[in-house]
Order: sequence, then C-alpha cells, then structure tokens
Amino acid sequence: MAEYSCLIVEDSPMMRQLLVFALARVKNLRVTEADDGVDGLRKLASARYDIIVTDINMPIMDGLKLVKRVRTDPIHKDTPIVIITTEGSQEDRQRALQLGANAYITKPIQAPQVIATVKELLKIE
Amino acid sequence: MSDQQRTSDQQRGAAGDPERASADAGVAAPSSPSAARRANQSDSPPPDLKKQRDEFLQSFSRSARMTEQLVRDYEKLAERVVQLEAENASLRAKVEADDAIRDLLRKIDELEREKTELISRYTEAKRTYSGLSERVASFEEEFSNLANLFVASNQLHSSLSPRRVVRRIKEVLAQLVGAERYAVYLLNADGTALAPIASEGVPSESLSPLPTDLVDGTGRVAEVLRTGAAYVDEEVDTSQGSLQSPPAVIPLRLDDEAVGVICVFATLAQKTRFVTIDFELFKLLGQHAAGALICASLQAESGHRRPNLEAFIDLGT
Repeated sequence: MAEYSCLIVEDSPMMRQLLVFALARVKNLRVTEADDGVDGLRKLASARYDIIVTDINMPIMDGLKLVKRVRTDPIHKDTPIVIITTEGSQEDRQRALQLGANAYITKPIQAPQVIATVKELLKIE
Repeated sequence: MSDQQRTSDQQRGAAGDPERASADAGVAAPSSPSAARRANQSDSPPPDLKKQRDEFLQSFSRSARMTEQLVRDYEKLAERVVQLEAENASLRAKVEADDAIRDLLRKIDELEREKTELISRYTEAKRTYSGLSERVASFEEEFSNLANLFVASNQLHSSLSPRRVVRRIKEVLAQLVGAERYAVYLLNADGTALAPIASEGVPSESLSPLPTDLVDGTGRVAEVLRTGAAYVDEEVDTSQGSLQSPPAVIPLRLDDEAVGVICVFATLAQKTRFVTIDFELFKLLGQHAAGALICASLQAESGHRRPNLEAFIDLGT
C-alpha cells in the first residue's frame, strides 16, 4: 500500500499537536512538523512530501510566502497545499488559491474536515 | 417373394379365373369343343365333386376377399397407429413444453421472491450502513473533541512559566474556540478588583479598570463571579458580541472558588455560534486555567525551585 508524507508548517505547538492528532487518523500518512516557513523550506529541501499543510500567520516567513516559494521549487511545485487560517473572507480565500494553494481551511479547525481535505487531495479512499 | 405370398397370389388368381383355377386344381381345360365333349363324356368330374369344387372355390374366393379386406384394415390400422403415435409424440411434446413453462413460472416466482428478499436485505443493509456512517461520523466528531480537550489540557499544564501559560490560554481561546476578541481577568488578593492579565482584539483602555459594579453589581461578570456558573449565550450571533454584552463569560475556579473570569467578546466572523466542544473547552479552562496560572506564578516566585520531598510526605496517609 502506498505511503504518503505530509509536512505541517505551524508556529503554534497547540495547533501542530492538534493537526498531528487529526492526521494520525489517515492511514499510511507520515507526518513531519515545521515551526515556521523557513523551517518548512528547510525540510522541503531535504525530503520529498506528498502534501503540505500550512498556517498563514507565522513569524519569520508566513504561509503565503511559503506557498509562493514552494510553487517555484521543481520538486514540490505540484505538491498539494492546504492553507489553515483565521481569515474566513472570500477575498482571503481567493488570494490563497491564486497563489497556488489547493485548499483553504478556516480556524477553529475541525479534525474531520482536515482529514477529508487531505484524503481528497491525496486521492485516498 | 415369399412362399406364403406366392401361395396367396396363386389363391387370389385362382379365385378370379375359374379356368386357371381348374388347371391349377389338376383339371385340364379342353382345347376344342369336340375335345370338350370327349372330355365331358370321359373325364368330366362327377357332379358332386364339381359342386364341392365350386363350393371350395366360392369359399376360397370369400376367404381371399376377406383376407384382402383384412389386409386393407390392417393397413388402415397401421396408418392409424402411425397417426396416433405422431399425435402422441406431439401431445407428449406439448405436455413437456407445458411442464417447462410451469417450471419456468415456478422459477420466476422463486426469483421474484429472492429479488424481494434481496431488496429487503439491501434496504436493511443500507439502513444499517447509514446508521453506521452516522455513528462513525459521531465517533470522529467525538474523537476530534477529545483530541481538542487533550491538546488544550496538555498545553495548559506543559509549562511552569506564567507567560507561557497565559499564551497557551490565549491559544486555546483563539485557535480552538475561535475567539477573536477576549480578555482574561483575575481577582486581586482581597477580591475587590478584577485585573486583566491577557487580552486580544480589545483596546487596553477598555479593559482596565473594570467598573466595580461588575463585581458587586448585577452584570454578567458579577453574576458569574458570584455564582461560579459560566454564562454562555446560545442564541446570539457570537461574532457580533460586544464589550458590554459578551456572549461568553467563564469563571476561572480554584477549588470551589471563582478567582477570575474569561470574557469572550466576539468570535471570528466565520464562527457564529458556540458548539459542543466549546462548552467542554470552557469547562476545561474554568477548571484548569487558574490552577495552571497560579501554580506557574508560585513556581516563578520560588525561583523555579522544586519543593523538598518533605512537602509531599504524609500526603497520602
């Protein structure tokens, strides 16, 4: 059975823990954590990931900048990206999707929604 | 030609031709009238023999006719038998066809019954599956809620730094509850004033000092502090709350005493009401936040010294 890898980029330890808990429910998904955008890019440079879940509001490098950088990375330019943010307006959503994000989840997150989104993007039954 | 047939032909021929019959019977026919006369005079059979011969010939002729009749009857009967056999075969085929149709009808009935049963079982399975799906969704939601509670509790108690504890309380409110504007107050030592220790989305001048009638008066905060019971408005749009009418006021309890409150003035725009997990998170914050805060403060005051073992001896006896 195929094994997938997921990179979570989130500065809040609480949210990271929550996302790890949620994504542990997806079979054959290996999860790696990164504290912010820079840490995320470092991890993306050292390994290949099948999906990226990132917060927008982060210190040092925010999620939108990360999305831009990932889309220019030849290895990860097609990797699905899920944006998690407190901003729920349609404009924010459009902005994130235009930058290259594949899905947009607003806080407070619901684990079933995160699981369903990741499964859908990875095409897991 | 068989001997029997030959004999029969001879008999038939004799019956139809008297002269030939007589020749066959050993009587020579006279070749001319004079010779006939001579023969009549010399070789003519006695009249009784002639009579016998005629009778025999008549009898033979009758027998031949009867035989012919019998043969014809036999042939008719044979034809009839063939016809009957054909009819019989046809009827048998028809009966067999009828049996086949009956079998088919019986099978159709059985299949119809099976179909009805299968449809019934399918409907039942579908209902069961639907029920199971609902239960799975319910379990998933419960799991999600438990994960939220575990993470919140874990984060609250994972630090002995008052600053970090406050940050974790704020994270629980912002990230898990979805609060956009909120404040955390603690009562002063003599319980006469509420001091804001943390807030988000609210100008600091709006928070401090709180009017004293909030403590002694009839406002929501005062009531929550007095009763120790949380106030959560389930009817209003929580994203539209205000400083004057916060949709949620949660008491921070230490043992059985309220030592502070959390006021949620408004939630994020996309969150318009509180849900089950929010009530659980409020309960958790109410029971653990004050304890975590005070514990962290005492630890900080003590210079992060661990208490001597003597402090724990005899606690369990």
